[in-house]
Amino acid sequence: MGILRPAGEYDTSYAADMATIRQPWQWGLLAVFLLALYTLPLYASQSTVSLVNRIGITIIAVQGLNLLTGYTGQISLGQAAFMTTGGYISALLVNNQGWPFLAALPVAALGAGVIGLIFGLPSLRVKGFYLAMATLAAQFIIPWFTRNAFPEVLNGAQGLNVNAPTILGMEFNNPQRYLYLTLSILIITTIVAYNVSRSRLGRAFVAIRDHDLAAELLGVNPFKYKLMAFFLAAVFAGVAGTLSAHNIRHLNSETFNLIDSVMYLGMLVIGGLGSNLGPIFGAVVVEILIELATIFGPFFIELFPSTAAGAVQALRPLFFGTTLMLFLIFEPRGLAHRWQLLKAAWRLRPFSH
Amino acid sequence: MRKNLFILMTCLVVASLLLSACRTAATTAPETEAPPPPPPPTDTAVPPTEAPTEPPAPTDTPVPVGPPDLSGETITLYHFGDLSGPYAAITAPLIHGAEDAVKAVNEAGGIYGAMLAIQFADDAGNIDEAVAAYDRFTSEDDNPLVMITYGSGEAEALAQRFAEDKIVNVTAGLSSKAFYGAGSGYTFGLGPIYPDQLGLVMQFLVDNWADYKPAEAGDEVKLAHISWPTAFGQGALTTESRAFLADLGVEIVAEETYDVSPTADTTTAILNAQAAGANVIWTNTLAFGPAAVLNGLHALGLRDQFVVAGANWTMDLATYAFLADPAYAVGLIAPTPYLWWTDADNPGVQYAEELFAANERGAGEHNVGYLLLVAGVDLSVKAITHAIDTVGYENLNGEAVQAALIEMSPFEALEGVFRVDYSGGSRSPHTSQIRMIQGGPDAFNILQDWADTPDLRPSE
Repeated sequence: MGILRPAGEYDTSYAADMATIRQPWQWGLLAVFLLALYTLPLYASQSTVSLVNRIGITIIAVQGLNLLTGYTGQISLGQAAFMTTGGYISALLVNNQGWPFLAALPVAALGAGVIGLIFGLPSLRVKGFYLAMATLAAQFIIPWFTRNAFPEVLNGAQGLNVNAPTILGMEFNNPQRYLYLTLSILIITTIVAYNVSRSRLGRAFVAIRDHDLAAELLGVNPFKYKLMAFFLAAVFAGVAGTLSAHNIRHLNSETFNLIDSVMYLGMLVIGGLGSNLGPIFGAVVVEILIELATIFGPFFIELFPSTAAGAVQALRPLFFGTTLMLFLIFEPRGLAHRWQLLKAAWRLRPFSH
Repeated sequence: MRKNLFILMTCLVVASLLLSACRTAATTAPETEAPPPPPPPTDTAVPPTEAPTEPPAPTDTPVPVGPPDLSGETITLYHFGDLSGPYAAITAPLIHGAEDAVKAVNEAGGIYGAMLAIQFADDAGNIDEAVAAYDRFTSEDDNPLVMITYGSGEAEALAQRFAEDKIVNVTAGLSSKAFYGAGSGYTFGLGPIYPDQLGLVMQFLVDNWADYKPAEAGDEVKLAHISWPTAFGQGALTTESRAFLADLGVEIVAEETYDVSPTADTTTAILNAQAAGANVIWTNTLAFGPAAVLNGLHALGLRDQFVVAGANWTMDLATYAFLADPAYAVGLIAPTPYLWWTDADNPGVQYAEELFAANERGAGEHNVGYLLLVAGVDLSVKAITHAIDTVGYENLNGEAVQAALIEMSPFEALEGVFRVDYSGGSRSPHTSQIRMIQGGPDAFNILQDWADTPDLRPSE
């Protein structure tokens, strides 16, 4: 959606036209927001900080999926498998090879990207539902590989203990410290995702999504750009998987599963496909819903001890499924679209209608 | 914009590094003065069943007289497990067992007057959620003493954190890695680790093969490991257990997996096992896990070709809920490192029965989970009581409870419902019965009474 501005308000330079943040007060607001996030450990409980950590890591994974599914229109059910790849590579490099975390992170991300590239190959020949099935293969093959291949290195189904990251002698071994790492990397991935979406690459992605045949006639090589989208999505997944593995400090073939891949897709739909704010909105809303279900469950059992035990089992999928269904029916363009409408109404006040 | 962004990023990085450096680890335990050890209780609400074999180590501080009065205090136990994921079938009774046991302890006066509280969090069998639950509990309580966990995955993933934060984890997830992996030390098992269980049953079968072997089986035990592809499902097969089986002359001829699902198809795995010449099947699963194997064997008409055995959790009423016919369970062999409900002459079992009836629990919960958690709470209460006796309530922390568990060993929890020994660097019991289902539900008859399991823990 383009930016709706009142008549007479226009840009006077290319720099202003390209700017993401246009007003000084917006810079101020951003700085205050980031400051509030970075100082969270000083005033929030450990569980809140832990939740923000998880949300941050999830946003990174969904940002990758957004580039692939939201911008390029290629459905993937293998995002969690690429997280597994990234997590394992980083764990092996840090634990077994003694690499510093900051060196292992990009290698793990690139490694996951290469694997993503391989599973993206079918995208040349198949689309939609069939492509989803092809990417689903990643969700079976990669966990199978980690369980059965090189047991002396990957430790089979038991998986690996993963060291907490150490940077400049500082060990990020609790949620408070880890938050600084998560937020810093999240800012970087957000900038990258944003810039990809408004670059030549991003426009090619959108062209392929909207009509791949027309895009090809205009000189966009669909195969090349689809593979690039798969690569980028898996790189983001690799970063998220690495962060998650070092946060949990344990990794096995179950850590990132098919349910996670489906959840990431759901988050994207709820947040808004093809929007940079979509992954942020989606991940925040769904993670908070899951947290609510977790907190609400035991209360539910206390209130209705005879009937709730079975119902509580369904609380999480119920919360997630209902939200997803409501969004698909009433706001298929997600929260990001709703946010754009709200902003437009504010800018055009008092003539917002 | 780039310049502004660069300045902002630089500020944030510097700020984050400064904040990281300034912040002390949340896990650091508060330092305390040398504790005055209180006296052993003379009249407590929950007296230990056995006096400690040795008195607490003497310190320079004076020894107080009389039991402490902790009225008005609250000691919280925490537990988290899968209530909305694949293991939910067995978790609900575990939770109710724990809650009923805590209620009973409080009705009997608590621990020296301190009331017990218990908090549960659902982790859906997801390690990420388990870490979140752990973080939530540790943020709500500055001095958590005991957390109870149920899954191998959770126990493995959190073992290092428990040790770092000095919180005792009493767990039903019996993966050896959780107890003896690098950085472990605060994770204590409610039963022998799965490799020990596998070793015990295989040793028994080898010793008694003539009595139990299928009609057409040869003289050698050939094992097919058919299990879930999870940390729990693969928990019995370790380097140590493989070496032990090899020494025993048991060949592992097939290693098959099947889905963690009540509708999992095991027929391919069974046929592969048959083709490989297996005559014993071991499954490290629970509830619908062993049921899937037994249903598959009967569907193929191959039940009489295999001895079917599994980890302790396989022998449970939860399994019956998923069997096509209850009679399919007959012949299942499993180690049972605890007494069963049918051991009605045991006062601990009687106590559990009383709790079960008083709280009007449904018949479906009359299973291993409920019984074990009543015993698990008893274990925790005994350890906390012993720790208070040793270091005093003011200095009570996870470290003291860990020391208490070791000092009290060997001992029997809940009047002998299960036996633990955490001495000598062991954090899991090494004794168990072996039972076989020889009739309808609850006919879990003893094949071999309490015996030591092989010690197959990995080197630390």
